[in-house]
Amino acid sequence: MKNFFKILKFEYLNCVRNKAFIIITVFLVCASFLFSLLPGLILSLSEDSPDEGSDSDEKSVIAIMKSSYDDELVKSELAPYFPDYDIIITDEDRKTVESKVNSDDYIFASEIDSPLSLIYITKNNTLYDTNGQLLSQAVKNMYTVTELSKHGISQAETDTLMNTPVKTQLVSTGTDQTKNYFPVYMLMCVLFAAITSYGQLVTQSVVSEKNTRAMELLITCAKPSELMFGKVIGSGLAGLTQLALIFMSVSVSFTYSPKNMIPDEIREFIDFPVETLLSALLFFILGYFIYAFLLGALASFASKSEDLNGLTTPVLFILIGIYMLLVIMCSGGMVDSVVMTVLSYIPLSAPMAMFVRSTLVDIPLWETAVSVVIQLATIVVFGMLASAIYKIGVLMYGNPPKLSEIIKMVKKSRNS
Amino acid sequence: MKIEIRDITKNFGDKEVLKGITFETESGKAHGLLGRNGAGKTTTIRIIMGVFFQNSGEILVDEKEINRDKLRIGYLPEERGLYPKIKIAEQLVYFGMLRGLSKQDARKAGVKWLDRMGMTEYKDKKLETLSKGNQQKIQLAATLLCDPQLIILDEPFSGLDPVNAMLLKDVISEMIDGGSAVIFSSHQMNYIEEFCRDISILNAGKIAVDGQINDIKRSYPRNTLIIYSQEYDRLSSFIAKSFSERTDSVESSEKDSIVTVKLRNEKDKDELIKLLLDNKFAFDGFRVKEPSLNDIFVQYTEGGI
Repeated sequence: MKNFFKILKFEYLNCVRNKAFIIITVFLVCASFLFSLLPGLILSLSEDSPDEGSDSDEKSVIAIMKSSYDDELVKSELAPYFPDYDIIITDEDRKTVESKVNSDDYIFASEIDSPLSLIYITKNNTLYDTNGQLLSQAVKNMYTVTELSKHGISQAETDTLMNTPVKTQLVSTGTDQTKNYFPVYMLMCVLFAAITSYGQLVTQSVVSEKNTRAMELLITCAKPSELMFGKVIGSGLAGLTQLALIFMSVSVSFTYSPKNMIPDEIREFIDFPVETLLSALLFFILGYFIYAFLLGALASFASKSEDLNGLTTPVLFILIGIYMLLVIMCSGGMVDSVVMTVLSYIPLSAPMAMFVRSTLVDIPLWETAVSVVIQLATIVVFGMLASAIYKIGVLMYGNPPKLSEIIKMVKKSRNS
Repeated sequence: MKIEIRDITKNFGDKEVLKGITFETESGKAHGLLGRNGAGKTTTIRIIMGVFFQNSGEILVDEKEINRDKLRIGYLPEERGLYPKIKIAEQLVYFGMLRGLSKQDARKAGVKWLDRMGMTEYKDKKLETLSKGNQQKIQLAATLLCDPQLIILDEPFSGLDPVNAMLLKDVISEMIDGGSAVIFSSHQMNYIEEFCRDISILNAGKIAVDGQINDIKRSYPRNTLIIYSQEYDRLSSFIAKSFSERTDSVESSEKDSIVTVKLRNEKDKDELIKLLLDNKFAFDGFRVKEPSLNDIFVQYTEGGI
């Protein structure tokens, strides 16, 4: 391995001095710095607008058409659900109300056509619109109050009974998934993006050396394993440098920005333990090596950049599929399921799946250790295989071979 | 230092591309490897360089199995290429280091060879900004950086203009005189004849003919005589008339003022000259016609692939 460190250094410097890499890094560092301030800015702006702007701006209006319920009861029951709106009871007919909703005079309107039936009138119904649900909850309360008042229970008593809170204390015997969910989700995205983009640094490096025919000379100066490992580790270190700069920028923006810029809720949300970050780093390194060797080996069959897509797309599809599956598992609350356990031991899915499991579920240390050992063994096997494929592939020009042909060639080269 | 390539065979799948290649060279000498495209030259060179392994046969350096880590080898591949977007001095240092030089030595060697190639002013330029000929010179500098004991040049003159070809010729001659062993593959026979005492002509993966160029030429029948004379026409008629039983053909060329006589028996040369002198013909000179390297190449490789 006498040339390994020379190649590693050369590859690393080539990556970090590359103009495109520098521009992307600067952009990502600036963007992540600004982006980390963005939630605070949005929150403070949205908090400011309804209250402080109330002197000059009028509140948005909710119109409820006259109904069998008492007007005051309607207003008092709706008010807690819609504190930032003016609630009016109107005598206007349905057509007029609809046209006013359409012209934004009313934010929305409702016709309560029977004690337990309502028509919700809104301009655009969106996926995130919860006003209809809140409205039906308020009508249900009105019905309860009205019915109970017939049995001599006053509205005040009913409200007190219905709104008495239940004190809940959480005792989680495992890991509190709700607390870690957001950081894990975010780091999983970073893990996925980092593995794919830094894996492509390796493919680009291989194909450009082949395209420029520098490969012919390189392959006679150094062993294929030195070239492959030097490239993969060099590009990986360049990737880590970029990631470190991005995390430093986020960390600086959180540490030194004025306290009111980042609300406590957001701080709590993203304030994840260092172990989570270290775990993400470990699984990034493992995942990167597994995929970089695969992609590097396949790239050695490409004669030019255009051939790369066809060769590397299947691997990227596998990675995207795994990522999607993990997102579904996470959002469906199935982090502790058998599928996730299996995924965390399969080499191609283990880096992301085990990161999610080890962070969100309280699993014994040996499970993580076994997964890490499987991944390390995969890296060694893939590294050796990639070096063998690379040696054959780099001297082949013309149309890229099919997967079956690649397997045949590797078998033949091992026999000869 | 003696380098021997002994009975190398190589198969790619079911196809046998080398069928027992044997030749040798030593320090201060150049060996020419000739053959048509696909004859097996580049495969032979790649096996010497360790890119492929032979199926059988051996490569010996001073009678021991070649150790490429200990032997300083300069290799100019047929497929030229360095890094187009990296500064020239920087990549020369990189390739020098990969060939085993320390960083300082690689830097010094880079400066020396850039100067020898007349390329010093381009050292901080990216390779892609240079003309093709100048890129070739940088490639040659990268080949010679490590002061190689063995130099392998695969088609070194292709793409060079006459001035750069002259420079390359001088540099190769210096390296041979300096004690390097050279293996030289080319289609340009004049360069082969200039550098190499020994050649091997490959045809369809086999050595069709090998040995010293002069010996190969001398092995051909020496029965064709070229006579230089201003009286070529009269001379030609005389020979055709008076010596007809002992000749296969007599041809005269107005352009070169020569008569070419192909004798049935080479022993009749003396008698023919005596006859011409006795008959008072004026001629400027005569010589036995030897085959050119090109003729030999064509003869051994035609229809071979």
